[in-house]
Amino acid sequence: MMDSKGPVKLCITSGKGGVGKTSLTVNLAYALAANQKRVLIVDGDLGLANVDVLLGLSVDRTIRDVLDGGVDPAQAVAQVSAGVGVLPASSGVPELVNLGPEEQDQLGDLLTAIMVPYDYALLDTAAGIGPSVLWFNTFTDHNLVITGPDPASLTDAYALIKVLHRDYGRDRFHVVVNFVTSEREAVKIYESLAGVTHRFLNLKPAYLGGIPRDTSVIQAARSQRPFVQQSPAQPAARAVFKLAERIIELA
Amino acid sequence: MTKPADPTLDCPIGQVECSLLQEIRGLRTEVEQLARLSQTDPLTGLFNFRYLIDALHREMERTRRTGLTTGLIMIDLDHFKYVNDIRGHQVGNRALQWCAARWLEVVRKIDVLCRFGGEEFTVILPATRLAQAVRVAERLREKLEISPLPLNPGELPLTASFGVDVFRANEELSPETFVERTDGFLLAAKNQGRNRVCYEESKVLRPATEVTPDERIAFFATRWPRE
Repeated sequence: MMDSKGPVKLCITSGKGGVGKTSLTVNLAYALAANQKRVLIVDGDLGLANVDVLLGLSVDRTIRDVLDGGVDPAQAVAQVSAGVGVLPASSGVPELVNLGPEEQDQLGDLLTAIMVPYDYALLDTAAGIGPSVLWFNTFTDHNLVITGPDPASLTDAYALIKVLHRDYGRDRFHVVVNFVTSEREAVKIYESLAGVTHRFLNLKPAYLGGIPRDTSVIQAARSQRPFVQQSPAQPAARAVFKLAERIIELA
Repeated sequence: MTKPADPTLDCPIGQVECSLLQEIRGLRTEVEQLARLSQTDPLTGLFNFRYLIDALHREMERTRRTGLTTGLIMIDLDHFKYVNDIRGHQVGNRALQWCAARWLEVVRKIDVLCRFGGEEFTVILPATRLAQAVRVAERLREKLEISPLPLNPGELPLTASFGVDVFRANEELSPETFVERTDGFLLAAKNQGRNRVCYEESKVLRPATEVTPDERIAFFATRWPRE
C-alpha cells in the first residue's frame, strides 16, 4: 500500500466540525518543516476551503482550476515558507463537495504527481462523513482523527472511524485530543475512545497527543499566522511540535 | 464547437415539396418508433428486460457517483400458472396488463417499472434507501391485493410476492448480480407463503456502520475528568 517513493500521506479528519482540523493541519505542517521536512498541505474541504484563510494567502489558483481548467498543478501550489507548500481549494462551490469517481481518480493522480518532491502530505478534510471526506481518508496512508474533549465530537470521531474501518478496511488511526487542560485529560479521553473502538470494532487507534486550550491559538489565527511560528513557546505550539516528532517516528 | 442539429428539416434550396426530405422525415419517425419498441414490452407497454439492464447500469453508476443507494424490487405474480392453465392465456395476458396498469398508478415518478419476463416484474428505484424501497414495494403489494381483475362474470383475485434490496456505493456488483441477489429475497417471499415483501430486515433496522445505542452508552459511561 505504502509507496516507497513519494511522501507519507496523512489525512486530518474529525467527523464533527470546529474541533481544529485546519488549525492542526497548518501548524503540524510548519512543525514538520521546522524539522527539515518538506510538507505539502492539501485543502481537502473542496466546497468550503479555509487553509488559505489561516495563512493569510491570497489565492488565485485552486484545486478547482486544476480539475476544471487544466491549470498546471505545480502552479496551483503556493509555497508559503521554505518547507511548506499549499494546494488550496475553492470556497462556495457546492458541486465540488462530492466528486464523482472519475474526478476522484483524476484528483488522486494529480495529487500523487504533485506530492513527489515532498516528505509529508497533510490532507485537511471537510467535516462530516460525505463521499469526499471518505475518499480523502482512503487516499492516505494514515488517518489522524482529531476530537475535542466533549461527548459530541468524541461520538462523531467514533462514527467516522467505524465507517472507515467497516466499509473501507482502514486500521491506521491516530488520535489527537484538542482543547484539553492537561496531558492527563487528553490520555483519559483517548482511552475512552480507544476502549469503545476496541470493544466494538476490535480496533485500537494509536495515541498521538493532546493540544491544550491556549489563547495564543486564537491570537495567531487573527493575525493569520501559524501559532507554532507566532508563539512557539506557548503550550499549544509545544504540543504540536511534540506531535510532529511522533509523526516523524511513524515513518 | 459544433452546433446542435436542427430538429426540423428544411430544404437547402427552398423547395416546398422535396421527396428526399419527405423520405428522411419518414425514416426518422421510423427510427424513433423502433427505438421505443426495442425498449418496450409489447403486451404491457412497460419497459422490457433490455431497458432494465441499461437503466440499472446507469443508476448503479449514479450510486457510485453520489453515494445514494439504488433500490430494486423483484416481483413475481402468485400462482400465475393456474391463471394461465385454468382461465386460459387470454385472461393470463389481461392479468399481466392489469397489474402493470395498477402498479403504474402507485410507483413514484422517478421509478422505472419493467416487465422482466413471464409473470416477473422489476422496479428500479433511483436514489432510494432500503426503508423507502420497502414502502414502495408494500404499496404495490397492497394495490394488487385490493384490485382483483374484473372478469365477465366475476373477478379474479391477484397477489404477488416481492423481494427488495439496495445497491451501495462501496459494493462491487454488476446489474445482473444485483438482480440475482434481490431475486433471493423474492424467493424467500415465495417460500414464506407469497403475497408478501421480503428484504434484509437488519439492514433497515440498523445500517452496518451506524453507531449503536450500546456504543453511545459506552461513551456516556466515560467518567469525564474534572480539572
